[in-house]
Amino acid sequence: MAYEKIDAVIVGAGASGSVFASVLTRAGKKVVLLDNGPDWQLTDLISSDIWGRRVKPAGAPVLLEGNHPFAAYTNQAGWGVGGAALHYFANFPRYLPNDFKINSEHNRAHDWPISYEDIAPFYDRVAVDVGVSGDAQAEEKWRPAGASYPMPPMKTFPNGEVWLKAAETNGIRFVPGAVGMSSTAYRGRPACMYDGWCHVGCPIGALANPVVTYLSEARKAGAEVRALCTATRVLSNQEGTRATGVEYYDANRQRQVQEASVVILAAWSAQNPRLLLNSVTDKHPKGLANSSELVGKFMMVHHIAGTWALFDEDITPHMGTVGAQFMSYDRYIKTSYPGAFGSSFIVTGAAMKTNDYAAARADLFGPELAAFMKRAARGITRITFFGEELPRLENRVELASDKDEFGMPLARLIHGFDDDALALWNANFEQGMKVANATTATTVWPGKPPFVPAAHLHGGAIMGTGPENSVTNSYGQTHEIANLWMAGPCIFPTEGASNPTYTIFAVSLRGAEYLAQNWGTVAG
Amino acid sequence: MDDLRRRALIKGAAIGTLAFIVDGARIMLTPQEARAQGVPLRTLTAEQAATLDAVGETLVPGAKEAGITNFVDQQISIAAEQSLLQARILNVRPPFAKFYRAAIRAIDQASEKAKSHRFAELTPDEQHEFINLMRQNKLDGWQGPPGPFVYTVLRSDAVDVVYATMDGYAALGVPYMHHIAPTKRW
Repeated sequence: MAYEKIDAVIVGAGASGSVFASVLTRAGKKVVLLDNGPDWQLTDLISSDIWGRRVKPAGAPVLLEGNHPFAAYTNQAGWGVGGAALHYFANFPRYLPNDFKINSEHNRAHDWPISYEDIAPFYDRVAVDVGVSGDAQAEEKWRPAGASYPMPPMKTFPNGEVWLKAAETNGIRFVPGAVGMSSTAYRGRPACMYDGWCHVGCPIGALANPVVTYLSEARKAGAEVRALCTATRVLSNQEGTRATGVEYYDANRQRQVQEASVVILAAWSAQNPRLLLNSVTDKHPKGLANSSELVGKFMMVHHIAGTWALFDEDITPHMGTVGAQFMSYDRYIKTSYPGAFGSSFIVTGAAMKTNDYAAARADLFGPELAAFMKRAARGITRITFFGEELPRLENRVELASDKDEFGMPLARLIHGFDDDALALWNANFEQGMKVANATTATTVWPGKPPFVPAAHLHGGAIMGTGPENSVTNSYGQTHEIANLWMAGPCIFPTEGASNPTYTIFAVSLRGAEYLAQNWGTVAG
Repeated sequence: MDDLRRRALIKGAAIGTLAFIVDGARIMLTPQEARAQGVPLRTLTAEQAATLDAVGETLVPGAKEAGITNFVDQQISIAAEQSLLQARILNVRPPFAKFYRAAIRAIDQASEKAKSHRFAELTPDEQHEFINLMRQNKLDGWQGPPGPFVYTVLRSDAVDVVYATMDGYAALGVPYMHHIAPTKRW
């Protein structure tokens, strides 16, 4: 079956792809989204850690290598409509002004080609679009003023409240967490029930996943979603000057081509460069948009320092949401700790389930584990520091010799932390222990396994001022091929320390609207 | 609408048990029920099952009766995309059966080397000591997937069948508070 040429084909129906689809369809464009997983419905989202694994990829399509492999890749990745944002924690902190100018201020890493002020209006609009709960004014002690959030903060519970006084004693001021969840009924979606099952998908729509926000809008405006369709190459014209469409394999494992005036890759930070690198032609022997040889480079993750505390009293660990009850930017200044560099973002008060209790003491087994589980069920909680690493060329995505069932080379994601990142990670543990020791907990310990826990993949097609230092401009348009666009955290040149999805939505909205407004120039 | 009414309304879409094959027929059971009914294994051998039962019970008391072996056997017998195993999100490369066979083989080979018996034949104290060494990668002559990783994966499976079910929550006194429940209490 041959498909007729459309306006835009988007690879990936997650957070960033949904924003582009929504904006473009509402601008009257014919849009098709391809996603390699199922077309999940809210009724598929069973409240169970066991059953919740269905919405994640199976196995290792990305080979995880390096001194500090990104072991959380599969757990964090999406598989199917909604992408990773179908099962994300919906923490909605924003990046701060200092994230956009590290090079100017510290002579390290990259500046973004845009400033906080360029993104700020889009943060405010996304908050209304998807529904954010929080206290914007309370956050403004750390950032420029903006609009209020459309909903008040979420309820709090003892598993978060027990940290407040101890943190303040240590110079860490907590404010209500900004989350993409409904503290009140919002735009036809119900208020949150605080059952803590957000991470396996929220079937009532209280959590702002793409299925109930931007993708829903896109579908209503006519966007077509083709599920179980695996993109393998971006096709380009003979001259190598234009993208012409996407080659993919459909649910019946049949090869298909979707021609389009504009191609947008929104398949997260490892798969996007994999697609570009696999799209070689004689005009693009290193892969599309890769004359700079920067495709797949500057991969970044946040390292995680989680400190646990066990209380004798019942602090209802299972209550709330997996988002943060409280958050703080009080260690966000890049030079917060002597001997370390980078921002840290602090959260606490996430609801936990029984698998989380067991993970808190991964060294325990047998009767000792059974005894611990009984105590944890009443009294466990954690304070978590996300830490920034700076972009480095050697952290990269490459094509492997192994291939998938469609003959496409797997990606190798090679990652290691440098000394600065490890120093920051250790400093965050020291800080976390100081706070934990200042609580009334009976036992505290650092959640420090033999590896460095990490989250939030960024980079691989970073934005910049030109092809000499980047793959795309600030809107996600590749420097080399005007109608080939990248979307998502792959275009972030640095990663800050706060959870990225709010910024993904905001940067995508900015890029999508620019594309719609300049359609004639871009689409040709 | 109050929370209880909303929960009741959305409960109708529930699914949740696993498909086991009994006398050629496909029936829906929990792993615990499958074990109690003696449902034949599809992928693991009797020896492998005995080892997995013993390892599971050593890792998390109650895992054997909760059906860890039937759970793993059923899950490694279906397509990886349908799998519910933690192996799926711990980056084990499909087919998952390959990993489990290698892990069980490594355990029994190391056990025979250290104690001249397969793991299932060791005393409970010996089994505990063995797992503790495996966890720390301190078993001599270990051949297979890294011992600490085997510990992590099998411990996760044991935690799943004992603590991640609705019965497991009830045993710990933790309200399950589902939106959409598995049809059976696991």
